[in-house]
Amino acid sequence: MLTLREKKIRRLAIGFIVPALLFFLLLNAFPLVQVLWDSFQFKNLLNNALSGFSGLSNYAEVVKNEYFGTALKNTVVWTVLSVAGEYALGIVSAIALNQQIKGRTFFRGIIIIPWVVPIVIAGMTWTWMLTPDYGILNLWMVKLGILDEPYYWLGELNTALLTVVFVNIWRSFPFFTISLLAALQSVSKDILEAAAIDGAGVRRRFWHIVLPQLKTVSLTMIFIHIIWTAINFDFIWVMTEGGPLHSSETLPIMIYRYAMQEYNFGNASALASMMLGFMISGFILYYYFSVRKNRG
Amino acid sequence: MKVNKTLTAVLALLMLATLLAACGSNKENASNASGAPSESAAGSKAPVKEVTLKFWSSLDPSSDQGKMIQQKVKEFDNSHDNIKIDLQVITYDVLHDKLVAAINAGDAPDLSWGLSEWFGEFNKLDALADLTSYVDGWAEKDKIYSNVLEALTVDGKVKALPNYLGIRALLYHENILKDAGISAAPKTWDELLGIAQTVKEKTGKEAFGIAGAGVRSPQELIMYLAQNDVVLAEKQSDGKYKNTWQDNPDQLSKAAEVFQFYQDLLDKKAIKTDARTWGWEEEDQNFVLGQYAMVVNGTWIEGRSSENPEGMKDVKIAAPMYKKTPATFMEIAPLFVYKSSHPAETWEFASFLLGADYQNAVNPSNAPRSDVVNEGWGKEFMELASQGVVFPAVSLGGITKVMEDSLARVMLKKEKPEDVAKWLSQAINDSLSKTGELSGS
Repeated sequence: MLTLREKKIRRLAIGFIVPALLFFLLLNAFPLVQVLWDSFQFKNLLNNALSGFSGLSNYAEVVKNEYFGTALKNTVVWTVLSVAGEYALGIVSAIALNQQIKGRTFFRGIIIIPWVVPIVIAGMTWTWMLTPDYGILNLWMVKLGILDEPYYWLGELNTALLTVVFVNIWRSFPFFTISLLAALQSVSKDILEAAAIDGAGVRRRFWHIVLPQLKTVSLTMIFIHIIWTAINFDFIWVMTEGGPLHSSETLPIMIYRYAMQEYNFGNASALASMMLGFMISGFILYYYFSVRKNRG
Repeated sequence: MKVNKTLTAVLALLMLATLLAACGSNKENASNASGAPSESAAGSKAPVKEVTLKFWSSLDPSSDQGKMIQQKVKEFDNSHDNIKIDLQVITYDVLHDKLVAAINAGDAPDLSWGLSEWFGEFNKLDALADLTSYVDGWAEKDKIYSNVLEALTVDGKVKALPNYLGIRALLYHENILKDAGISAAPKTWDELLGIAQTVKEKTGKEAFGIAGAGVRSPQELIMYLAQNDVVLAEKQSDGKYKNTWQDNPDQLSKAAEVFQFYQDLLDKKAIKTDARTWGWEEEDQNFVLGQYAMVVNGTWIEGRSSENPEGMKDVKIAAPMYKKTPATFMEIAPLFVYKSSHPAETWEFASFLLGADYQNAVNPSNAPRSDVVNEGWGKEFMELASQGVVFPAVSLGGITKVMEDSLARVMLKKEKPEDVAKWLSQAINDSLSKTGELSGS
């Protein structure tokens, strides 16, 4: 039997939880269920004649789409290269900024700038800088003799995606830098000194002492960024709109095209559900193997 | 403590009231289920109470034209006690998505600007009012170019009005051609390809510019197809559409010739290599800066003279070159009139926007009226109105995308023109099938 005070605390607790619960149900759970439901319905705003339960036909249409394979491959390339690049650059810059170098505070301050620039502005600025006719980067590269003539980085089939990956790394690595820098500062100097006295060199100390202590932060950051990058839409849309000829199109861009250009919400929902499935499967697989490894 | 509780309760009530007010529908602007103005209010007396019309426009408030539009709308507003115009400026970049969302939410504005590519979609979404009775009863109907009004008519019903025209003509830098020793602009594709090398060698600049990507690329492609007597999608006996190239070897062969023309432009260096993926911005900007000699473009380029007087001073106008039949793309920017609960007032405002006074002030060079033609660029462009081609009145979202893809296939992947023509034919029919507009489906 709850006392009056306990009942009051419980009511207060419920009062605090209800807004968040309502928020979650209305803005997360309901749309998610709706998307799953729509993925099994004929739902094309431009073709009302066809409606009702569609079975798996939306999924079949999406998989049969000529550019589905390309978009899937591009999503993997975009995500893996972006996160790997961000992590590599992030850890190198974090280690550099953890040293007793001149102007350290200044560099720590300015390194965050790319991260705080809005994506649309960053994307448009880079697009302008990469333009072959009047872009500053092409001009420099030609003057330095790196290129014979200006190159349309965002307009060629084989470089468009990689160029956007590069810009994405430029924008996102500072987030890794500041997170890893914070983690580096918590690595015990005593242990590092002891290891040095025992004869451990710089590389040995890094691989066997520093890096293991960054593992938790690193894994958290990598997982968050895998999700953020895989579902990223704005950077690619601003810079290439998935082109030329779908060469930089990822699954979120394809979902947008289905929904907002073809108004085929059945197909868009099927692809969104599949993407959710891919992400969940990836994380379950990782969890399964890491548990097995830990047991081993 | 008690005061706090009371205050909290009052605040909570206020928030609830605000939320409910925000969720409530605006009855004044709510859509009418019966929709068509001809059924409900044609010729009916205007209500005594003031009606607010929502008007979404993509005007540029910083331009002279934009300021003039705002002034004219205000004049209309001031002279009508029963009508208030709620003018909202929304750029073309986001206007389409906002309109689609609003239409599906049943909260479309009363009128809006738009692009011709959206006409089929909005008609298919059953969002547009039937304006036939109003237009038929309008004394100035015969002032609107007949082919323009025809392009906005579906199954005998007028479903949109022309806002302004974007007729395309061949613009050329006279000095570049003179420097290359060429006295007149080319009249045919072959003439263009023939002078390309000379222009490049003597001036270091390319002879021509195209948009290989983006919204303008399908507009240019449909023009080149028309210049070779190829139709994108034909209306069939069942009232639906079909691309017939694969049933008609002659059409397929002619479509392939168009794609061959694009490849020839590249191979003969008539265009810059980068033009394969140029959008309209690059096409316009490079022409204005005099980076290449000729382009098929619209009257809006005239407005760039003030910012680039040096680059624009030698620009002249000619009819676009062609292969078999003279043709140009005629962009009819529609004024969409949506199904509304106060159609009479909406028509009153729409007819004001179509009137000679408004069009003379706002669109002197590109008005849809035959009695509004200025002596500058407008006259030369409007002379091409009779050869203008437009997109078929079908949902174009998927079709324009595959048209853009076809250009990338032929110019970036260097696929065979015949293969690209077959692929595009199939892709157009697939798109029509998805939207239920394919003949026989």
